[in-house]
Parts: sequence; C-alpha cells; structure tokens
Amino acid sequence: MALQSLPSTRRDAAFHILGLVAIFALTFPARADVPPITRAIDGFIRPAYDSFRESTVALRSGVDALCAAPDGAALDAARVSFVQTVQAWSAVETIRFGPVTQENRLERILFWPDRKSVGLKQVQAALAGQDATATDPATLAGKSVAMQGLGALEFVLFGTGAEALATGDAYRCAYGAAISANLVMMSSAIAAEWRDPEGFARSIANPGPDNPLYRDEAEAVTELFGVFVHGLELIRDVRIGGFLGDDAGADKPKQAVFWRSDATVASIAGNLDGLQRLFDVTDFSRSLDPDTAWIPSSIDFEFHNAGNALAKLDGAIADVLADPARRETLAYARLVTSSLSDLFGVKLADGLDLSAGFSSLDGD
Amino acid sequence: MRALIDRRDFLRAAGTAFVAGLSGRALAATLDADAVFATACQNRSGTFGVAILSEAGAVLSVVDLPERGHDVTFDPVSRRSVVFARRPGTFAVIFDHAGLSAPQTITSPAGRHYFGHGLFAPDGRLLYATENDFDNAAGMVGVYDATDGFRRIAEFPTYGMDPHEMVLLADGRTLAIANGGIETHPDFGRAKLNLSTMQPSLVFIDRESGSLIEKHELPQDLHQLSIRHMDVSGDGTLWFGCQYEGPAIDRPSLIGRARRGEPLALVDMPDDALGSLRNYVGSVAANPSAGTLAVASPQGNSLVVLDAATGTIVSVRTMVEVCGIAGDGAGYFATTGKGMVAPASHAAVNSADHVWDNHVLRIA
Repeated sequence: MALQSLPSTRRDAAFHILGLVAIFALTFPARADVPPITRAIDGFIRPAYDSFRESTVALRSGVDALCAAPDGAALDAARVSFVQTVQAWSAVETIRFGPVTQENRLERILFWPDRKSVGLKQVQAALAGQDATATDPATLAGKSVAMQGLGALEFVLFGTGAEALATGDAYRCAYGAAISANLVMMSSAIAAEWRDPEGFARSIANPGPDNPLYRDEAEAVTELFGVFVHGLELIRDVRIGGFLGDDAGADKPKQAVFWRSDATVASIAGNLDGLQRLFDVTDFSRSLDPDTAWIPSSIDFEFHNAGNALAKLDGAIADVLADPARRETLAYARLVTSSLSDLFGVKLADGLDLSAGFSSLDGD
Repeated sequence: MRALIDRRDFLRAAGTAFVAGLSGRALAATLDADAVFATACQNRSGTFGVAILSEAGAVLSVVDLPERGHDVTFDPVSRRSVVFARRPGTFAVIFDHAGLSAPQTITSPAGRHYFGHGLFAPDGRLLYATENDFDNAAGMVGVYDATDGFRRIAEFPTYGMDPHEMVLLADGRTLAIANGGIETHPDFGRAKLNLSTMQPSLVFIDRESGSLIEKHELPQDLHQLSIRHMDVSGDGTLWFGCQYEGPAIDRPSLIGRARRGEPLALVDMPDDALGSLRNYVGSVAANPSAGTLAVASPQGNSLVVLDAATGTIVSVRTMVEVCGIAGDGAGYFATTGKGMVAPASHAAVNSADHVWDNHVLRIA
C-alpha cells in the first residue's frame, strides 16, 4: 500500500486527492483512481523484486549448504535454487529503469550474450588459478561484470567440472557462494531502493515540472510503456533470435541463454510472464475509449498463446531444436511476440495517445 | 550468415523493381521548390521510404525503401542523394530527387552492415559509409566508387566500435567519425552488448590513406557517454552530441566541441535545457549563416539552439518527438516522429501519410 510509505505531508495531500476521487467516483466510477504507474509499482515491480531477492537468499543458502556438506542431493538442491532464481529474475529483468540501472547492476546480475566467451574464459581462469579475490563477495563485486552474475554461477553449478561439487571442490563452491552472496547484495539493494518512500518510486509516481526525471505524467507512463516495447524486442530479437535460425541448420543452441541449466525456455517464459503480469496490474484498459477497448483483450489472448506454446517446451534447448514439432512451436512463440509488439507499439500506443513509437522509444 | 546473403539477393532484386521515384507532377513541383529537403520516413501503413519535402514542408515525392532508413547524404556535383539503412540494415539507396534516374540499391558486403550514415567526397567520385565489422566488433568505413555503379572498392578501420555519424572537415580530406562505443551484433538485433565496458571516441582520419590522425576519448568517468552525431559550424568548429547509457539520474553534458590537437571540450548547459534533452541527443545540425547550432532530443521532445561562437543557449523549444533538423534561413527545418514538419519560415504541417525518421538534410 503506497500511501503508508509516503511522508506525512505527501500523505495529507494524497488523502485530499483521494477525498476528491471519492466524490467523483459517485459519478465516474471507472475513471478516476490510482494512476497506472502506482498500480505497476505496487502490483508488480515491488513484489517482483522482492521475489527475486527471496530467490537469491534461498540460492545462497543452497550453495552454502552444498559447500558445507557436499553430496549429490545438495548439488541438486543448489541447482534447483539456481533455476528458481533465473525464473524470478526473468520475470523482472525487462524493467530497465530505476535502481537496477545503478552500478551496472543489470549487467552484473546477467551478462548475456557473452558473444566472444569473455565471461566464460574469465570464469574458467578463476577456477583454474583459484583466484582468491573471486571467492570474496566484496572483491568479486569489483571484478568483470561477466564473473559475478547468473551466467558465471551457471557455469560453476552446471558447466564442465561441476559434478565435482557433489564430492567436494572447495574453491569452485566458494566461488559459487561468493556469486550467490553478491546476487543477494544486489537484489536486496534493488528491492530496498524500490521500497524506499523517498526513493525512485516516489520520483516516477510523482511527475512534475520540478521532477528532474519525469516532468509530466506522460513521461512516466512512457517509461513504463517502454518496458513492453523493449521487453518484447528483447525476447524476440535477442533471447529467441539469438539462437533460433531461419532454418534448423542455422540454429545455435549453445548461443541460447541458460542452455547449460536447461533453463532457456523457463527464462523466456519468465520474461513473458513478467510482462503479462505487469500488463494485468497496470490495467491500461481504464484509460481507453470504447473504440479501442478491444486491444487489452487481444493482448491478453496473445500472451496466453505464447505462454501455452512455451509451456510445451521444457528440457534442453538443443533437444527442443532437434525436434521439428517443438522447434515449430518455439518459432510460433516468436511470431506471437511480433503480434504483441504491434499491439503494444502501434495499437495501444495510439489508443493511449502516447508519443510512443517511431523515434523516441527506439533511438539511434 | 546465410540469412544475410539471402537478404542481399532480395535487396538487389527489389532495387531493380523500384520505378523512378517521381511522377511528372511531382517533378515539376520539385523543380519549382526553392529549397528541397530529404528524410527517411515510415508510411503510416507501415512501409518505409525516403521523402523529398519542399521548403514549406509539402511532400513532393517518396521513394520506397525495403526497410527502415536513417540518414541521407547528398552530392552537389551529380545532384544525387543516398539514404542508408538504419543499423543493422544492409542496404543503401542512391536516388535522384529530380527524377532523372531510377533509384539504385547497393548492399553492404558479407560480414558488414551499415550504421545509417555516410558522405560523398567533395568531387562526388567516392562515397564513404560507416559500417560494422560485426564478427570482430570493429568499426569500418566502406569506400564506394560513385563513378562505377557504387562498387565497393576499399575499406578502412575507424579505430573504435560503433561508428555512427561521419563528417568531412573543411580541408576536404579529414574525416571526423563518432565511434559510439556500443557493441552490437546482428545475431542479437539491436541489443547493446558492452555497456559496462564501452569506450566511445571521436577520431580524425585521412580519407585518402585511411590512416588515423588523432583519436580523442572522454574522461573515464564518462565512458558511458556515447558520441554519435556531429556537424561543423560556420567557423569550422566540429560539434558533437551524445547519448548517455548510464543511470538516468546522472546529468552529464551532452554537447561538445572537438579540435585537432586539443582534448574534447564538453559544453555546460543550464539545468533546464540539459534536462530537456533527457540524456539523449538524436541529431546535431549547424546553421553557418545564422551562426548557430541545434540539437534535438526525441526522447525529451526538445529542440535546443545554441550560439555557435559562445555555446550559450539561444532557444529551447518543445516539439513532440523532434529529431530531424537542418539549417533553413535564419532558423531550422525540423521534422518529428509524429509526422510534423516545421520549416523555419512556414507554418508547421502534419503529414497524414508519414512519420519522419531521425534525420533531415537540405539537398537543394
């Protein structure tokens, strides 16, 4: 509940506004209420970052337990925690404004794609040389972004030599524990900064001429709207397009995000699920005229189509690609993201009268 | 790279299918117009083109493009123009705004794509284009022989990544190139792959030998300030505009001057003018006859004009999604991503059929 976290003067003002809303609501019940940005923050952004934080805390516990008492069950448990963290991160990673943009956190949490295997080489070098600065979360946080996030931890837990964790590989496990602790630090900072009543959430929820970040409500809504436009492009062009070729011969399964942990599709599905949940809670339909009221239900339909398709594709991404039927299902999911991009970037942008599309959201 | 080759074949085929761009009526209108401007555009139906506009903002003609274009360059000797594909596109279309010859489409070679900018040598014999050697993440300049069907005859490196706009200095020989510093690869669409380590630069290169004359970088704490667009003011000063990839709460200077033998000099701007650019300069244009320089931000809906001698602000104008700017009399001819054309000395007009891309150029 956002009002509880506002400072007292703001709270008074807010209550006054709410009083007015209550009066208007008698006449215009559907129109006047909480602005979309506040619905997005309270309904999705804060809880999603909280979930990510909780997932990293569980991950750190799992890796610590593995290091303390290595065996196959502990390794399995740590790997399950890793995939759960991937899912929690994927749901919220399309948010590209606010605290996550500080201190290179986006790249430090997930540096991907690692096109020239820079990160992989750095991780392998740390493992081979038993680099002591990589097992201390404080010094790890200052190292290459590719060494300190989910990509590095995936190699530690799933990459070549990871099975030694089940019988005890003290250095490798300590490095994994440091990455996990580093992830806890970042996820906790992001969640706390979004919960800070004086922090970024207040800025984006209170646009105005004196607000250096958001000078009017349209700028704040456009920022939020950009999550869908950019997020869908990310899923289609970067995450799916990065490994799904024009034909099967052009597929590059080892260029897929999280291929080592078989979490590729889970991550993509998590991205889409996050967008869908954000869309649901934001509820743009309240701002649409009757002649454009069809758009949200079409968007909802396409989110479900994509989600249903991806739900059929668990397992290793190489196996998905090797099976023509499942590969076709993946290609279909990509096609649905194009339809969603059109629904958001053209139809809904027009319906909301946002200056959304051509040059401002998609710069060069 | 099979997909790229197929696309090139398609583009060549499409090029032969283009009809001469202008009808008789449009040709007469073009010849009657006092000044003529060209800009890439998107038709509201979704297809792409390059439009020729009268000084009053009327659409004189549109040449179709296979995909989205970006900037236009003009050769006053042959009176031909070239529009380059927006990154990571692989085509450029040579067109004659007077309609005397049919448009010609050229394509970048395998392993290269265009960045959307280029220029002619003063005698019109050579065309230079900024290109991406994407597998090596290296900026290149492709050299094309305009006297031989725009055959690509040479290339040389830009000594940096992500070369964007390129201008020719008054000596007719020195190229100034903005290396934006952002790594991209067509496998991953327009995703930015190296934000935590990006290293933009501005280089001076001898266009005849391809050798590096000087390379300038910003201080290390500004390594996320991407130098992207440039123009030369009446006194020969090279001005550049930047886009900031760091946190939105930072407010770095976005405009600077470059001189050979001196470090890059960033220009301080008042907070409100700087804030109106939202850390994003989408285009830079000088008006030598007026002694001014303009920068536009489609993200901030702002057109800022500076005195080119002092760097002080002359005006800050709010215009939704403004990006295309070109000197026009004592002011600027401006175009927007919403389809508006705002000439300096005529009333602004909105196109019913088009929205305008990021750059506009006076071609006659």
